[in-house]
Amino acid sequence: MCVGLQGKVIKIRKGTAVIDADGAKREVSVQLLDDLEPGDYVMVHAGTAIAKITDDDENEMNSVLDGLL
Amino acid sequence: MSERLSARDIITSYHGKKLRIMEVCGTHTHEIFRLGIRQLLTPEVELISGPGCPVCVTPAGFIDEAIWLALEKHVTICSFGDLVRVPGSKMSLAGARAQGAKVQVVYAPIDAEEYAKAHPEEEVVFLSVGFETTTPSSCIAVQQAIEDGISNFALLTANKTMPSAYHALKDYVDVYLYPGHVNAITGTKLCESLVDEGISGVVSGFTANELMTAIACAIKKSEEGKPFFVNAYPRVVTREGSVEAQKLVASMMDEIDTEWRGLGVIPKSGLKLNEKYAAYDARIKFAIPPMEGRSNTACRCGEVLQGKIKSPECPLFGKACTPLHPVGACMVSGEGACSAYYTYGNVRNDNNE
Amino acid sequence: MNDTVTLAHGAGGEQTSELIERVFKKHFSNPNLTADDAAVLMPPKGRMAMTTDGFIVSPAFFPGGNIGKLSICGTVNDLSCMGAKPLYLTCSFVIEEGFSMEKLEEIAAAMEKTAAECGVQIVAGDTKVAGKGQVDGVFITTTGVGEIVEGVETSGTKAAPGDAIIVTGDVGRHGCTILLARDEFGIDADVTSDCAPLWSAVQGIIEAAPDVHVIRDATRGGVGTVLYEIAGQSQVGIRLNQTDVPVQPQVKGVCRMLGLEPLYLACEGRLVVFVPAEEAEKVVEALKATPYGKEAAIIGHVTEENVGRVIMTTEIGTQSVLPKPGGELLPRIC
Repeated sequence: MCVGLQGKVIKIRKGTAVIDADGAKREVSVQLLDDLEPGDYVMVHAGTAIAKITDDDENEMNSVLDGLL
Repeated sequence: MSERLSARDIITSYHGKKLRIMEVCGTHTHEIFRLGIRQLLTPEVELISGPGCPVCVTPAGFIDEAIWLALEKHVTICSFGDLVRVPGSKMSLAGARAQGAKVQVVYAPIDAEEYAKAHPEEEVVFLSVGFETTTPSSCIAVQQAIEDGISNFALLTANKTMPSAYHALKDYVDVYLYPGHVNAITGTKLCESLVDEGISGVVSGFTANELMTAIACAIKKSEEGKPFFVNAYPRVVTREGSVEAQKLVASMMDEIDTEWRGLGVIPKSGLKLNEKYAAYDARIKFAIPPMEGRSNTACRCGEVLQGKIKSPECPLFGKACTPLHPVGACMVSGEGACSAYYTYGNVRNDNNE
Repeated sequence: MNDTVTLAHGAGGEQTSELIERVFKKHFSNPNLTADDAAVLMPPKGRMAMTTDGFIVSPAFFPGGNIGKLSICGTVNDLSCMGAKPLYLTCSFVIEEGFSMEKLEEIAAAMEKTAAECGVQIVAGDTKVAGKGQVDGVFITTTGVGEIVEGVETSGTKAAPGDAIIVTGDVGRHGCTILLARDEFGIDADVTSDCAPLWSAVQGIIEAAPDVHVIRDATRGGVGTVLYEIAGQSQVGIRLNQTDVPVQPQVKGVCRMLGLEPLYLACEGRLVVFVPAEEAEKVVEALKATPYGKEAAIIGHVTEENVGRVIMTTEIGTQSVLPKPGGELLPRIC
């Protein structure tokens, strides 16, 4: 139900940040997240950063599958 | 890692007992079709598309309300693009636009607020649909309107929450693929507690790797024979979720009973702005009269959404109802089960050519 | 001269003459440009191709071009797709009262430059001025004739099983540029329109493969729409390798942001080419030697099965149908 956009934080203002997704940039609200720094990756939905992204999906896949054993 | 099977191996080699997995989220439905993931599945695994597309479950009456605002009150309607072609009782917003309604497609609720600020001579209403993931963005837009001191902005709410659907559909499903971006907001505690009620599920992300991993988890854990929960999207979803978002929504919205297109009224499954923010509630602000939306009676979207029938079993599917001329909401949104079926559904599995 | 176009400029009197002298004659001057009611021309030697196209882009100026350049490219490219060397064009302007004279001249200058680049002459024109609000800025219609290179016979019905499918460059840039230029979604990206006259590319193609089956420019509706058109016209199936379709990263980024498919974004300087498989590499090499074919790539092939459909091989090696083009492009959240 919710298209998420992975983007890199490139500039932080008060309550908002400019994020970059492969060269497409847009200002989004970051008021739901604390301690954000330029260079962090976030998941954006409908103009709001909803979560920090802490890993890539390849590592994630490996750790999740390892956890199954 | 040679001793461990890959996610793909787990999926393609499963021949255990029959497993029904429901992807609740419309974006999952879309990605599963787009990536052709069904072709990897053995006959023992069935993927069912659930009700997790906010456009699909938005009732006709909601569209009627928006059209009434646009045509009777000359309000500028700001909306996500997905909603523009959803049929109301008589017409869609696209149809209303042809009759002079002003409909502005926006990327985000905050853009609607900005539009209102830039156009003080217009009354602007944002069509606030969506689940837990989207609702905070609408709340932020209202906060911004307050901060900017503008009074020409309001929400027409149809925001919904997922948990009631997990209960409502549990008898049709063995394992849920939980909607990762809803869980990013809500955390995973609720899903963990569903295990005690015998409801199993895996939180899934949206890439090919993540979807395959989640399905592999569903298969492996099911083999253990007891209810389970796995967070297979830990790079985004934490146990706590976004506490900020939870607080924000709780401070601005009240829980209400609400209608889901095709499913009827589900108690406590919706949200509206609370009294404190009544000035930003379009229903109060414009005294919208009650509207009983009418949908085509032959349309079986409701059963599709519950996973009771597959889209092609509906008599309208592909005949009266196509993506260009949708009758039911499941055909309108690119994420609706019917639209996905129509678009991608009948690819022959010629993977072994 | 006034700095905006007025209704008097369209009334046929002195001011009309002034507008023609100072804008159009200045930029379109060539021996065949008529001052009479119609241009008098020598007929082409062989078979002739003729086409017309209307242009109403908003905004009229965008990174990589303007409506003037577009109006030449559109018609030149349509002729080129038939294997026809563009010879003559006519152009008809409908200008909104109050339109900037300077902008109009900029448009005419872009037309001059683009026409010169592909060796086509503008031989006749017409100007109408419409009242404020009756048109949006300026609308241009161009009509063109070209001479078909002997032995070349392209048609949308000629795609055959086994044919390789080539695009002449990365897809979707024009559509993406216009979307961004309208500034409705608050997105910034460094994207420039691919708008270009493609006769040189077609020359490269037909020199390498005179028996080329189909050449089509992927304008409105993008490459995806062209593929569906050809699959239908030729009654064949199309197999596309998703990962081989060249798309600029920033175009991909914008598409991901708005939930759009790059294959359905308009191009104004890209061809989709169907050639017998054994000639495909040669054609790609030839294209790479032309100014607008540097990113040419083979993106798929024609199949006997799945008639009328475009099937993609996905990033995980499965098959998926390319969704059919439909309706207006709507960004989606869900």
